[in-house]
Amino acid sequence: MAEPGTPLQGAPTPSAASEDVLRVEHIGKRFGPVTALKDVNLHLKKGEVLGLLGDNGAGKSTLIKILCGFQKPDTGRMFLRGEPYEPKSVDDARAKGIETVYQDLALIDELSVFHNLFLRKERVHKPLPLLANRQMKREARTALDEIGINIPRIDVAVARLSGGQRQAIAVARTVNSDADIILLDEPLAAMGAKEGAMILDLVARLKEEGRVSIIMILHNYVHVLEACDRVSMIQDGAIALDKPTAETSVEELTDIVVNEYKRARMANHEDTAPAT
Amino acid sequence: MASVTQGSPSPSPASGGGGLVSTDAKPSPARQVLERLVSLREGSIIVVAIVVAVYFAINTSSFLTGENFKTLLPYFAPLAILGAGEVFVMILGEIDLSIAAMYLFAPIVFFKLDSAGLGLVPSVLLALIACMAVGVVNGAFVSIVGVSSFVTTLGMLFTFEGLSLIIAKGQPNPTPGAQVHQTTVQVHHIVNGHNIVLPEKVNHIGTFAKIFGGGVYSELIWAIVIVLALQVVLTFTRWGLYTVAIGSNKIGAAEAGVKVKLVTIRNFVLCALTAGLVGIFEAVRSQTIQPDPSGPNEILLLAIAGAVIGGTLLSGGSGTVVGALIGALFLGILKDGLILQGVQANYLLFYTGLAIVVAMTANVYVGRARRGSGSG
Ligand SMILES: Nc1ncnc2c1ncn2[C@@H]1O[C@H](COP(=O)(O)OP(=O)(O)O)[C@@H](O)[C@H]1O
Ligand SMILES: [Mg+2]
Repeated sequence: MAEPGTPLQGAPTPSAASEDVLRVEHIGKRFGPVTALKDVNLHLKKGEVLGLLGDNGAGKSTLIKILCGFQKPDTGRMFLRGEPYEPKSVDDARAKGIETVYQDLALIDELSVFHNLFLRKERVHKPLPLLANRQMKREARTALDEIGINIPRIDVAVARLSGGQRQAIAVARTVNSDADIILLDEPLAAMGAKEGAMILDLVARLKEEGRVSIIMILHNYVHVLEACDRVSMIQDGAIALDKPTAETSVEELTDIVVNEYKRARMANHEDTAPAT
Repeated sequence: MASVTQGSPSPSPASGGGGLVSTDAKPSPARQVLERLVSLREGSIIVVAIVVAVYFAINTSSFLTGENFKTLLPYFAPLAILGAGEVFVMILGEIDLSIAAMYLFAPIVFFKLDSAGLGLVPSVLLALIACMAVGVVNGAFVSIVGVSSFVTTLGMLFTFEGLSLIIAKGQPNPTPGAQVHQTTVQVHHIVNGHNIVLPEKVNHIGTFAKIFGGGVYSELIWAIVIVLALQVVLTFTRWGLYTVAIGSNKIGAAEAGVKVKLVTIRNFVLCALTAGLVGIFEAVRSQTIQPDPSGPNEILLLAIAGAVIGGTLLSGGSGTVVGALIGALFLGILKDGLILQGVQANYLLFYTGLAIVVAMTANVYVGRARRGSGSG
């Protein structure tokens, strides 16, 4: 059992981030008539927290799913730690150190909290293929406590939990691993202010440890500026903005979106109903 | 015998079921047991089955006899085995209708291969492998091509029932290895001090037949072993966990890295295998291979009914193998009890149908109580 979340333990120095742990070039992806991504170039430095922004339907989730091996890009190339990266499956990407919190959370309602936490990473009684439920419960409890998530009972089905608790479990599942690249697709979406702050604290802590690099999709620009080192914004299937957060502001980010919105309004005069 | 219902005037004949549960007066131990039962997924059917069994035990003197248990066996053991496989498919949120075809197909393949001189056991194994291949096709159509399982397996049902008829040329055949050999032995008797020798006829069935369904308890033993083994697989292995995961949230399971296609195919293979096995057992037990789809088609529906009554959802994500066994037992008790009560044959199906609806309604309410009770 490689202890997953061992904190504060000789973390490699967050070097000058000279090298990209992950880099993608000219990524394109279509779904039938819909072009989700046209030509995305993106990079993630070691130890960095990258905020990924973009309108609804901009293709953020699609990009995440390509990075984590759930979908294959139509065009483009990817590199992981300098090596060509063509994940064959989610398991493959996971084996290479990439873990994901999906926008839909990918939780199994009928399964207990601890079974969800260990999905695809189940502990078994070694020579036998039988689930080591007690061990998983113990480790799940430890992991949740370490992260600071308060889930009163870990043997209840996740269907019983609140939206925020479910989200917290999805995040915990990702953090409680050996991954050194973590992808978070709207991890704060269903959360109250307190739970949201807890997740952002967790991200800050991971950043301090410097072991993992993170791509995080957020909607609240205040959160983005607080939690991220750099922002990339997807517009029209490509990266329209790529800046360190220190060099941008809530105003600038808002302006970009307002302008995009105005352009969209002009493009379809008649149809005034804004997209949700 | 009637002392089960303490206090009530008589073992109420018509609406007997309700009277037995009305132990409201004394809440403690009985209540607790009942509540424990209800918190189980199989709980409601256990309660219903016990109620029905007690009702028949009270009302027919011959119900609680060993002989009657033996007549019950061939009815419920095959359903329990079929249900065990079907539950694995139903938890995925799919259905396998082709089990009736496998039930018919396996013994015919077995007969053909044995006739070709392959020997009993190799022929059985190859027949089962043929069924598993059909399971692969089912699973592949459902999970890779994306045809609904209802349509896929309905097509396979007709295809392989048809193929069975074609292969058998519509003719019944004796089941290989299942024939009863009669031998005559000379038995010595001592009568009034005289030693006389009289010939007696003795029936023999071969070891093969004894194991594969011919022995009185052979199918029961198979059913118990298969049900327990598959319940362990379902509850305590990754395979079971992934089966529930796919049925509960297919996309989420895939995103988490569960190999949805592989698990789906595997479960259809398992289901086809159990169906083929039951087909062989029944052919051995009845000593003939009847190329007639009507029996298998009825058994198919009863097996699904047993699984559903036992607490497995048609919508997927939840189910139990043991529940399917108890569901099958319930159907067996019901049929057997009704016959013993002298219910006219024409009414049998009618009562069975009503009982299924009643049992299912009980399931829904008990299920709600279970989820609401917060004990889970
Ligand atoms: N599996 C899919 N099939 C068809 N269309 C899809 C699929 N996934 C995403 N899309 C489409 O691709 C576009 C981008 O979607 P998505 O990546 O979810 O956007 P975002 O996460 O930025 O809101 C949308 O128009 C969406 O409808
Ligand atoms: Mg999205």
